[in-house]
Amino acid sequence: MSKRVLVVEDQEDNRQILRDLLANVGYEMIEAENGEEALTAARTQLPDLILMDIQLPVLDGYEATRRIKAQPDLRHIPIIVVTSYALSGDEEKARAAGCDAYVSKPYSARKLLETINQYLT
Amino acid sequence: MNLEADPTSFLAQRPYAAAPGASRDAASVRRNLIGFELRPSLRTKLLMAFLLIEVLLVSVGVIGLLSLREADQRANQIVALQHKIEAYRQMQHDTLRQLYGVSTALEFADETTLAIALRQINQFGYDLDRVSFVAKDEVALLNQVREEYGRFIAVVSNIVDLIRSGRTAEAKRSERAELGPLADKLERLTNQLVNRAEADMVAGIDTSRQTYAKSLILVAAVALASLVLTLVLGHAISRSVINPVGIIHDGLNRLAAGDFSQRIEVPNHDELGELAAHVNSTSEELQQLYQRLEEASRHKSQFLANMSHELRTPLNAILGFSELLLDGIYGEPSEKMRSAVERIQRNGKHLLGLINDVLDLSKIEAGQLRLSLADYSVEELVNGVYTSVESLAAEKKLDLKIAVPVGLPPARGDERRLAQALLNLVGNAIKFTDAGEVRIEVEAKGASLKFSVHDTGPGIDEPDQAKIFQEFQQVDNSITKAKGGAGLGLAIAQRIVEMHGGRIWIESRLNHGATFSFLVPARLEQEAKQT
Repeated sequence: MSKRVLVVEDQEDNRQILRDLLANVGYEMIEAENGEEALTAARTQLPDLILMDIQLPVLDGYEATRRIKAQPDLRHIPIIVVTSYALSGDEEKARAAGCDAYVSKPYSARKLLETINQYLT
Repeated sequence: MNLEADPTSFLAQRPYAAAPGASRDAASVRRNLIGFELRPSLRTKLLMAFLLIEVLLVSVGVIGLLSLREADQRANQIVALQHKIEAYRQMQHDTLRQLYGVSTALEFADETTLAIALRQINQFGYDLDRVSFVAKDEVALLNQVREEYGRFIAVVSNIVDLIRSGRTAEAKRSERAELGPLADKLERLTNQLVNRAEADMVAGIDTSRQTYAKSLILVAAVALASLVLTLVLGHAISRSVINPVGIIHDGLNRLAAGDFSQRIEVPNHDELGELAAHVNSTSEELQQLYQRLEEASRHKSQFLANMSHELRTPLNAILGFSELLLDGIYGEPSEKMRSAVERIQRNGKHLLGLINDVLDLSKIEAGQLRLSLADYSVEELVNGVYTSVESLAAEKKLDLKIAVPVGLPPARGDERRLAQALLNLVGNAIKFTDAGEVRIEVEAKGASLKFSVHDTGPGIDEPDQAKIFQEFQQVDNSITKAKGGAGLGLAIAQRIVEMHGGRIWIESRLNHGATFSFLVPARLEQEAKQT
């Protein structure tokens, strides 16, 4: 059974990149465009890993991460937070929200894949 | 200037701008309530003070002159008394001579002696005239003297007549019975006059002595009072000038130090009070101006941060797809396609670098960038920089060297930012050097570390050396124009070094290469205060 990755990203182009990248290595990709959708998808689909963007409409990535990690049945799902370079202190905030790893934009597709693989194998 | 009344004023609607205005209104109400209070200007105050001092001086002079006049009058009185006494004595003397003359005439009874006696009678008349002239105040006594004297002359004339007619015995009788007592009476009267005059004189001298003492005390007291008053006045005036000047001076110092919030309180209602009010309104205007500037600067930084984020989002997609293309995810690309995508990727990365520079600088200027201090290895830092520029140097066939002393202890600072600063220097060196070498050197200098980047590039002329650390400044010549770049690298490096409490500088001569160096504390425990 292929691993399923929940990608939370509001930019369609970025989702397309991840779609292509993940499909290429045989992972299944579940998509969510904001924090609310991410919560629902995490609960209903129980993905193997979550790739969480920070700047999201409705509910931002920090809050979504915090809420997922607050649920005992979802706590085990590794969350990789993707932050923007724009704001300093993002890494600390992401860690505080309970994420497992942290990748800053712009990321190299190859490096992102390496990080994802660390949690899926 | 009333900012509240200015509808175009940027801050007119802001609540905090109303506060100083309100206090000003209260002050004007207070001033209206005490509208009848005297509010002399500084000029008036000084004028009044000098006027008062002049009045005091004039009074001292007048009192002195009056005392002098009184003393002069007393002296004249004493001189007059002396004349009187002299005249009285002369009269006494002449009376005696008269008696003597008559006695002598009675003795010898010749015509010569008689003539002398008669002449002496005349002399006595002169004396009387003189006395009545110098002693006009002694009318009663003098009239008595004159009366007695009239009798005396009559008796003497009678006696002379008796002697001439040979009735000597009768004359002697008359002399004894009438002339002697008359002469005694005259002497008593003149003695009385002399005594009175002498008593007057003694009294006069006494009074003048007392008057002198009184004048002395009066003049001294007035002079002393003037002195005290002048001192008090001078003190008051100087207090009312020096205190406000000191307060205003302090206020201006605070203003110069950038504290626009303070208002100075000067109780004066004169020119200095006005000056203080001016200083206050100026600092208020400066404060508002400063707030507007700060806000504008904040807006600028926010705009840059937002803008660079917006710019980066599509750029991320461009770089992401380029990478996937090059990785062969969409099928192995042809050589031509690979070359084109590589160009897209290279330009995209360059653009990203520029955007990041702009963002870094705006964050630093907005005070949003904080150093994250940790221990780091100098050697690793330099090696990291070396690795990231190695390929660039190789492309230009430059000799890239590093010289780091072995066994440096762990340093402390923001490794990522210091690497960025060093990278900017090395990147510039490689960019502007066409042949030769670029050398990265580290030296331990006491408690500091000195990072240097030498190149064999075109060098920078001295007049341009100061300019290059300013953002968007590049040396304006054909070489740099050909090299491109936004001119932000050095500005960022300088800010990073300054945040570490260090300094950055350049040593260069035109056509003889350049050396950029920065000195930072080897172990930074606390971020340097930004200026």
